[in-house]
Amino acid sequence: MLTYSFKRLVQLFVTVLGVVTLVFFTMRLIPGDPISAMAGDNLSGAALDQMRGQMGLNDPLPVQYLTYLGRLAVLDFGTTVTTKLPIVGLILGALPVTVSIALGTIFLTVLISIPLGTLAAYMAHKGNRMLDNIITGVAMVLDLMPPFWTSLVCLLIFSLTLGWFPASGTVSLDDPAMLLRRIALPVLVLSMAQIATLARITRTSVLEVLNEDYVRTARSMGWSELHVLFRHALKNAALPIVTVIGLSFGNLLNGTVIVEFIFTLPGIGNLLVGGMNSRDYQMVQTLIVFYAMIFVAINFTTDLIYRVFDPRVQF
Amino acid sequence: MALISIPLPAHRSIQFNFSSLNGTIRLLSNRRVQLALMILVPILLLTVFRPFLPIPGPLETNLRAMTKPPSFVHLFGTDRMGRDILSRTLAGVQISMFVGFAVALLSLTVGLVMGTLAGFFGGVIDRVMMTITDIFLAFPSLLLAIGLVSVMGTGMLPVVLAISLSDVPRFIRLQRSLVLSLRSRAYIDAARTVKASQMWLMTRHIVPNTLAPLLVAASIAAANAILVEAGLSFLGLGIMPPAPSLGNLIRDGQTYLEQAWWISTLPGAVILLIAISLHFLSDGIRQVLDPRSRK
Amino acid sequence: MNELRPIRSALLDVRNLHTHFLTDKGTVKAVNGVSFQINQGERVAIVGESGSGKSAMAMSLLRLLAYPGKVVSGEINLEGRDLNRLSERQLNEVRGRLVGTIFQDPMSSLDPVMRISNQMIPPIMRHLGLSREKARAEAISWLDRVGIPDAARRIESYPFEMSGGMRQRVMIAMALSCRPRLVIADEPTTALDVTIQAQIVELLKELTAETGAAMIFITHDLGLVARFAHKVGVMYAGKLVEFGPVKDIFARPRHPYTQSLLDTIPPVDQLERRRLAQIPGFPPDMKLPVTGCAFKDRCAGAHRRCFEVAPELEPRGHGHAAACWLPEGLGAGRQMERALIPPMEPAADAGEDRVVVEINNLHKHFTTRSSLPWRKPPTVRAVNGISLRIRKGETLGIVGESGCGKSTVARLLLGLDPATSGDIFIDGMAQMVFQDPSSSFNPKMTLFNIIQEPLVVTGWGTKAERETRVRELLGQVGLDESYMHRYPSQLSGGQRQRIAIARALALKPSVVVADEPTSALDVSVRAQIINLLVDLKQKLRVSFVFISHDLLTVSYISDKIAVMYLGEVVEYGPADEVFNNPAHPYTQALISAVPIPDPEAEEARIQKPLSGELPSPLNLPVGCSFASRCPKATDYCRTHKMVLKPYSKTRETACHYAS
Repeated sequence: MLTYSFKRLVQLFVTVLGVVTLVFFTMRLIPGDPISAMAGDNLSGAALDQMRGQMGLNDPLPVQYLTYLGRLAVLDFGTTVTTKLPIVGLILGALPVTVSIALGTIFLTVLISIPLGTLAAYMAHKGNRMLDNIITGVAMVLDLMPPFWTSLVCLLIFSLTLGWFPASGTVSLDDPAMLLRRIALPVLVLSMAQIATLARITRTSVLEVLNEDYVRTARSMGWSELHVLFRHALKNAALPIVTVIGLSFGNLLNGTVIVEFIFTLPGIGNLLVGGMNSRDYQMVQTLIVFYAMIFVAINFTTDLIYRVFDPRVQF
Repeated sequence: MALISIPLPAHRSIQFNFSSLNGTIRLLSNRRVQLALMILVPILLLTVFRPFLPIPGPLETNLRAMTKPPSFVHLFGTDRMGRDILSRTLAGVQISMFVGFAVALLSLTVGLVMGTLAGFFGGVIDRVMMTITDIFLAFPSLLLAIGLVSVMGTGMLPVVLAISLSDVPRFIRLQRSLVLSLRSRAYIDAARTVKASQMWLMTRHIVPNTLAPLLVAASIAAANAILVEAGLSFLGLGIMPPAPSLGNLIRDGQTYLEQAWWISTLPGAVILLIAISLHFLSDGIRQVLDPRSRK
Repeated sequence: MNELRPIRSALLDVRNLHTHFLTDKGTVKAVNGVSFQINQGERVAIVGESGSGKSAMAMSLLRLLAYPGKVVSGEINLEGRDLNRLSERQLNEVRGRLVGTIFQDPMSSLDPVMRISNQMIPPIMRHLGLSREKARAEAISWLDRVGIPDAARRIESYPFEMSGGMRQRVMIAMALSCRPRLVIADEPTTALDVTIQAQIVELLKELTAETGAAMIFITHDLGLVARFAHKVGVMYAGKLVEFGPVKDIFARPRHPYTQSLLDTIPPVDQLERRRLAQIPGFPPDMKLPVTGCAFKDRCAGAHRRCFEVAPELEPRGHGHAAACWLPEGLGAGRQMERALIPPMEPAADAGEDRVVVEINNLHKHFTTRSSLPWRKPPTVRAVNGISLRIRKGETLGIVGESGCGKSTVARLLLGLDPATSGDIFIDGMAQMVFQDPSSSFNPKMTLFNIIQEPLVVTGWGTKAERETRVRELLGQVGLDESYMHRYPSQLSGGQRQRIAIARALALKPSVVVADEPTSALDVSVRAQIINLLVDLKQKLRVSFVFISHDLLTVSYISDKIAVMYLGEVVEYGPADEVFNNPAHPYTQALISAVPIPDPEAEEARIQKPLSGELPSPLNLPVGCSFASRCPKATDYCRTHKMVLKPYSKTRETACHYAS
């Protein structure tokens, strides 16, 4: 176990370093440099030079790179270019909203998709194709609906027409009731796509297990269908399902950016889009690295969970 | 936005021959493929023949018909500048289709070459390639695209490149795993006993047998690209107005959602239809390839 | 039929069972009217080739068929109750309790994420109404009885921590743990090595005798039937074509299919080698309706009536029944046909011919990648110093259990893997024929391109010359030229193996390495391929290396045999000598483990299956590698390595106590 974790950690480190390096140098590929791109034509040459000096942009590229790495190592992400606010503070302020949306979505997704997928698999196994086809068909359509479009449709129906959920309003952790009402629709929208993916994977995994020899062995010992389904099928199917939950987290992060934008929720996705629109590349760079790290960390965790719970994996 | 994951059909089932008539007939007689074509072909025809249809051009404004709901004159209604939404949607489909096709082709080609090299030769090439794909796969796809667009600027080419960059690593991975599983097949060993060259093995035995599963993945990637492009344009980071990309149309309508629901919802429904039919297409190909997946 | 029915009621009485698989492409009538009875404590073997419906029949008894299989009609009377009329809930009281089941593949038949205890104890508690502690004690005592060492501790292991043989023992313990009256064993030893197979078969025999349970044993191996069964049922195309006491069936088979099947087995006595009898054609497509007898197209004795009406299973006396219009099946015709087969020419005097393959002190070590860079990686010694010679036109058989390194030797000979040390000299070229006919060919290539590939790669001849050569090769392997433009997927297993042979012969190699070339084939097709190989050997004077775990086939086809154990050759010599008078204790054990398809002979043999399993090749013992399992091993053996040295004029063996 330790050996494996160590190897995975080394791999993780290499990946993160690669991510940081890639982002840093890609950002430097911008024609001109970040300062002139940001400032447009408003500042004189001298003022620009002064700003460059302040930001260390006049140093040679390798020096800039090492400085950047050094600052990242102590979690110093710098300040925004326009407002001079520390980026860490902004991220920490916006994080609760994004985390609430993500956790809410995962909760709702697991709650609905695993029973649904299992049911579909069981029906398919018994040759009852109708229910299975309906569930898989609906799952596919939900999966393919562009989240921004679904958001608008939900907004139109539930907020604007029915008035069930507020379309705007301040969001903060101090007012949990409001927070819940505001994130309810985004969570619903994101869950739709996630439920579809997870239900489909659950169906496939459970169906595969149901066709395994050991399931037949359990039947031959006189166990009922329900016992077989819960004690054997779901238990064996759980491992691939956990992996997929980890992998689909990337899509979930994609989705939060879009719903935060549409529902004007002050999460980190909105920071990113804001950064893009105000050409604050420092901000964009930091946020993209941040997203990548979350994603990598999540996958690392699910991988370890997988290994802890699968007795077959030897270390 | 689906994950690209294609289970490799077992060896006895990769017997599908695209070049043979028999293969084409089997493909066309698959229910899912038929369904996909039933949606795709009319949409494509409408898109191609849009200039000859009795509808206004996508950029033509009409001050006497501003924000009109769907009617016989304007099937999808009009926007606040009196532009015909149907016409704009069809023009948007054209852009979407181009993006989808370009991304699929680009990812497939690069993935095919790099994945084959990594899988076939292994060793250092493989390890370097895998580390690089690991780095790219660490970014959620839309965020990678956002980052790249911020560097390359907006427009058609940057969007295609940005989306492809997040797909290419997946294709490399897929192709690599296909090659690895083929590399130990007995017919490769048989050819090696007569000292067949590496080139012979790759071009005769390995690559032809990976094309079919790659095509399945490519049609999913096309659907995915269409969705991501729409997402980018919606965020204002993709193809810039006034070009009528589907994402732009939906973004336009967002402000007037309450007054004119049709501006956003109808183009969105068309995206959904296209994505669904592309998925049916890939499912169909997969079923023809691997009869056991039909369950 | 009445004569068949014993006075006292049978334990299991199956009547007119029909099982169908409702697939997209039509209804497959897998079981098509099967009736038989089993008495208390009786062991009944059901034999048949793949697709004969034997497994579907066995699974139908407890309704364990997966969708789309369905028992359509019939009675399954177990102790007077018709299982076919029970509800699922009622049937669950029978499954595991009255009827235990053992499946084919022990590697996949136990739940991988559950401890053995959690799989074994709950059924005992439920069916026998015991407390958890008592059920646990019962489970442990069963594991002990099936020969799991340290059962009290091992019951808490996961299946992956055990070998295949051990897992099958656990399966047996599970199946017997609720003291069933009947045990259904579906090919329980097919996935196991021959020495483990012998252990498992002995175990099943002992345990069913002790508990008085009756047994249905599904198999395709006629040797196992002879060793194991009281009665035999032969299935063909979903029907029982013959049923009766084992000795009677082997001595006087009445159905042409049974008769032909028995004739396809390589004879044990090597005095006069004849070509094997072979059954022409293929079994019928079960999706299509069959008029008349299903075997008529392959039967030498078929006449008009066979094409019109299907014969029913009719009694032939002494509890023997057969489904054939002819009272004696092929009868005298069978003997005549056998006599027509000429004896094989004796192998030419090998001493005169030149050596085409010479292997000297060959080693192949695989180094697995170490988990941590600073740790020494473990090494597997797959081939550990072997030396062999093959003369022109000679066939060398290599036998041994899985993991003994025989396939690695093949790969080294073909130059597919580099040797670690030692050298291989080949005069000419080595070509190969593989085990699995389904992955042997590129599915995208026509047979013509497959066969001509070696010619194209080596730049042999012009296009026209190559085409002529391919036609010639097709003729040599007995395939019609019209096959040239087909794809491999359009061929049957036997035809594919013919193509593989044609491809191997294309460049006129001096030696053809055949790695398990017949293991994936059914008995009747296997005989065709073996005959073909024998013909080619005589006609073309090409040498063969024949690698197989099937000792009967190897000894039939080979001139010399090399017996391998843990990467070493432990015995080497002429085939009939090695087979009939083995010198090394391992060879002796291996040969006594092979079931012989003759119940009388089996009865006469002393059964003492080799104990233990193959040690891990990761840490080989210092002394003789076989010492850990050898009945004759002494301390000297455990500390001193033995090399191959002459045992008689023609034979070599690696044992201190061989003479």
